[in-house]
Amino acid sequence: MTNVSRRALLATASAVPLGAALAACGGGDDGGSPAAKPASQSDVDKAMTTPTELTFWTWVPDIQQEVDLFQKKYPAIKVKVVNAGRGTEQYTKLRTALKAGSGAPDVVQIEFQYIPTFTITDDLLDLRPYGAEALKDKFVDWTWGQVTGRDGEVWAIPQDTGPMGMLYRQDIFDKHGIAVPKTWDEFAAAARKLRTADPDVYLTCLSANEAGAWHGLLWQAGAKPYATSGTDITIKVNDEVAKKLAGYWGGLAREGVIGTEANFTDAWFGALNRGKYATWLTAAWGPVFLAGSAKSTSGKWRAAPLPQWDASAPSSGNWGGSTSAVIKTTKNPIVAAQFAQFLNSDPESAKLFATKQFFFPATKAVLADPGYVGDAPAFYGGQKVNQVFADISATVNASFGWPPFLDRAVTDWTETVGKSLAGKTDTVVALDQWQQRLTTFAKSQGFTVQAS
Amino acid sequence: MAAVRARRRTAGPLFVAPFMVLFVLLFLGPLAYAAYLSLFQDRLVGGTAFVGLDNYVTAVQDPRLLRGIGRVATFFVIQVPVMLLLALLFALALDSGLLRLARVVRLGIFVPYAVPSVVASLMWGYLYGPDYGPFAQLSRKLGLPAPEFLSDGWMLGSLANIVTWEFVGYNMIILYAALRTIPPDLYEAAAVDGAGPWRIAWSIKLPALRPALLLTLVFSVIGSFQLFNEPNLLQRLAPDVIDSGYTANLYAYSVAFTSQQVNYAAAVSFLLGAVIVVVSYAVLLTANRGRSA
Amino acid sequence: MTARRRSTPLTVAMLAALAYFLLPLFWLAVASTKSTQDLFTTFGLWFSDSPRLFANIRATLTYDDGVFGRWLLNTGMYAVASALGAALLAAAGGYGFAKFRWRGDRAAFNLVLGAIMVPTTALAIPTYLLFAKVGLVNTPWAVILPSLVSPFGLYLMRVYAQDAVPDTVIEAARIDGAGELQIFVRIAMRLLAPGFVTVVLFTLVATWNNYFLPLIMLNDPNLYPITVGLASWSAQAVGGGSGASSDMLALVVTGSLLSVVPLVVAFLLLQRYWRSGLAAGGVKQ
Repeated sequence: MTNVSRRALLATASAVPLGAALAACGGGDDGGSPAAKPASQSDVDKAMTTPTELTFWTWVPDIQQEVDLFQKKYPAIKVKVVNAGRGTEQYTKLRTALKAGSGAPDVVQIEFQYIPTFTITDDLLDLRPYGAEALKDKFVDWTWGQVTGRDGEVWAIPQDTGPMGMLYRQDIFDKHGIAVPKTWDEFAAAARKLRTADPDVYLTCLSANEAGAWHGLLWQAGAKPYATSGTDITIKVNDEVAKKLAGYWGGLAREGVIGTEANFTDAWFGALNRGKYATWLTAAWGPVFLAGSAKSTSGKWRAAPLPQWDASAPSSGNWGGSTSAVIKTTKNPIVAAQFAQFLNSDPESAKLFATKQFFFPATKAVLADPGYVGDAPAFYGGQKVNQVFADISATVNASFGWPPFLDRAVTDWTETVGKSLAGKTDTVVALDQWQQRLTTFAKSQGFTVQAS
Repeated sequence: MAAVRARRRTAGPLFVAPFMVLFVLLFLGPLAYAAYLSLFQDRLVGGTAFVGLDNYVTAVQDPRLLRGIGRVATFFVIQVPVMLLLALLFALALDSGLLRLARVVRLGIFVPYAVPSVVASLMWGYLYGPDYGPFAQLSRKLGLPAPEFLSDGWMLGSLANIVTWEFVGYNMIILYAALRTIPPDLYEAAAVDGAGPWRIAWSIKLPALRPALLLTLVFSVIGSFQLFNEPNLLQRLAPDVIDSGYTANLYAYSVAFTSQQVNYAAAVSFLLGAVIVVVSYAVLLTANRGRSA
Repeated sequence: MTARRRSTPLTVAMLAALAYFLLPLFWLAVASTKSTQDLFTTFGLWFSDSPRLFANIRATLTYDDGVFGRWLLNTGMYAVASALGAALLAAAGGYGFAKFRWRGDRAAFNLVLGAIMVPTTALAIPTYLLFAKVGLVNTPWAVILPSLVSPFGLYLMRVYAQDAVPDTVIEAARIDGAGELQIFVRIAMRLLAPGFVTVVLFTLVATWNNYFLPLIMLNDPNLYPITVGLASWSAQAVGGGSGASSDMLALVVTGSLLSVVPLVVAFLLLQRYWRSGLAAGGVKQ
């Protein structure tokens, strides 16, 4: 690296955008090339001791505690935490700010499934030049796969995850003599049995507005619906695996043995409190959430893995979970990258996420921590819920790609498959409609759509 | 003297200038920019390209947009006559002098106008609740099935109820104010002729209300076709009923912000604007023809 | 009006109508006294066993470092600034259109009236993009500036100025040697006062209740007005995934109550003005 470019890198802490600095180095960052020359330790030291202010968009409550750990270690850096909304709300604001060219933060919370939506527009910073690769082994393998790009880029640092399992009402199962279903066939049989025995109770509710759960179940079943390679995209949301799922769930919905109402509404909360649903197929953040919103049912719930398609090869999928990513146009890439890495890999910070915010950990260390997995909350009758989900986490399928336009995919799912579940129409047909809508959209956006 | 007259000639434009300058900057400017944007297309692969009127061609055939427009047209046809009729009846009742506690009633009916649509949707959303809403609870106690205000079949009506609740008072006040300016000697003459309250209402009050009614009608056309706030806020309660294209404006919003297709959104908005202008003028023309007939 | 026999049936009917209009507000008041759990378990239209209005109010005002108080302040600031500014511009403009003639004045006025028909969404994004270019996004100006242009206010003030400010008065003042600006400020504004207050009030309400514009213009929660703030709390109250909080419902309800009270009070106190101001606008065309 010449002297000119070294000075340019040092200046990134104050003004020069990364693009210009890298260009000066002679390495363009267009996503398809190898990582740019890494920032040297002295560059990092210099940046971390230069007074800098970072803006961090996140909707995690009380994250100031973890942020304070960082600020204590690097007193020159001040992090401004902004809650710009949760999920879609924040992503909308982020994209609008990026399009307008001003107002975007330095570091931002992005859920795993949304990463490709922001890498297609080249908005995220590859963290490899800032030492991210060294963190690989600290994180659960499949989470690292989720944040890694096609050419090995590291787009974000995992924060928390949501491997899917099943929370069930032990008391309702006992009352009607239902055994905990281990396979989906057993689950269907149990659903029918329960409906006949008690018309006020359903075995579960597969919400017609929750594309996240659907994708998680697809993931569990081994489907790989999306694959992007440059301007080529493969969309297979209606392949054999998906059709199996659609036939299964559509069938149960049409038989009337499962509920399909929208989740996270007042009515749905009430239903959980009243015992209308005997199970909740949910992610690892579910147990704490349930304990907070269904206090009247404390002690009656237990956790178990999802029913399986193949009992001999247990698998699971993921639903939700967030990462910290750095926006490419940040004026402080070194500091921002260090912050994102520290926040999620520093042992103390990661532990706080698990114990204060009750996040399900993405780091191997916390997952192995006996204090964490040994936790036996009363809401679950003293069961070691974290251990259950930690075991599940090990069975999550290694890879699952997301589309570069997830908002669109989710909206279209809700208006086709979701609608068919709620309206008790043919879900397999709806699946084909979903496929059709996505293919049309992808083509209109200039992608070359590959046949499966 | 010429200087004074010159000062007078320029005074008009100068008084109007601050308003007009901001109007041009904040209205005509963005509008022109939107028109410009609508002629392009921004793709995830390939960036921005000039496509002429393609966006408009797509929009006119877009089934979701057409459904959205159809829905607000239906909304308009149901909600506006009901709301204006109620506003008229209330205004007449208040003006009749037959009412006790008139001031309290007038204020009470107007108060919902002061409530933000966020809060109105929250309140009504709760009242509509199939599990916790008081209506549902009451009907369950009576052994009847709970009314499904938030279901697909009822939703438009439920939205119409919220909007009516919010705006009847506002329209009532406009009509009432117009009634209050009717010269009292007209009433004296009518009393001499022996006309009763109904006759007075029909022959004196209604004609005097014509301009005000027209005003409220045109505003209602514009408001109902642009319906956005209430369905947007009720969406979280019934996400499977209110989809992203439930009304035309909601569709434009989701195209712009969720799908990030700013150019197509601009075309959709212009199309919606054109529909509103056409309907407004149709309404005005019909009303004026009625007058000359 | 001669005979003033009060009609009891009519009164009863109107009181029933009144009950319909006040019902949701009654629910709001009652619901603000309940905890989140109670909201799900007790009958909607009557109190719970343990009312906790003051605890709820305190929780609402202190949550998230007192951001709710900031939202109230923001709303007040945006609304007052927009209302006063819009009314001033409308008054001057309305006076100009009403009392002066020049080439193109009718066309200009009709252009402004036509503006009322344009859907807000058509303008929202281009305005956002233009504001972003000049760095105004995510500032109070992003909310205040667009609210200063009130076509309806202009229309109202023009109609009012035509009636309330007689040409003879203006002529007399001119003969006395007063300049046009002096005439406007000293004489016309006084006569225009009721119309002015009407425009102030209606713009105040429109800006106070504005949801869409601040929703897209503002990213920083510290700049939110009440409407956007409450909507974001409401979304937080039900969302799943990491960071969900299921205790927010009581805060949303209490916050809603607190947001409605100031405007209702303002309405009650300023009744006289908006009635007479609206009279002019409603009667003429």
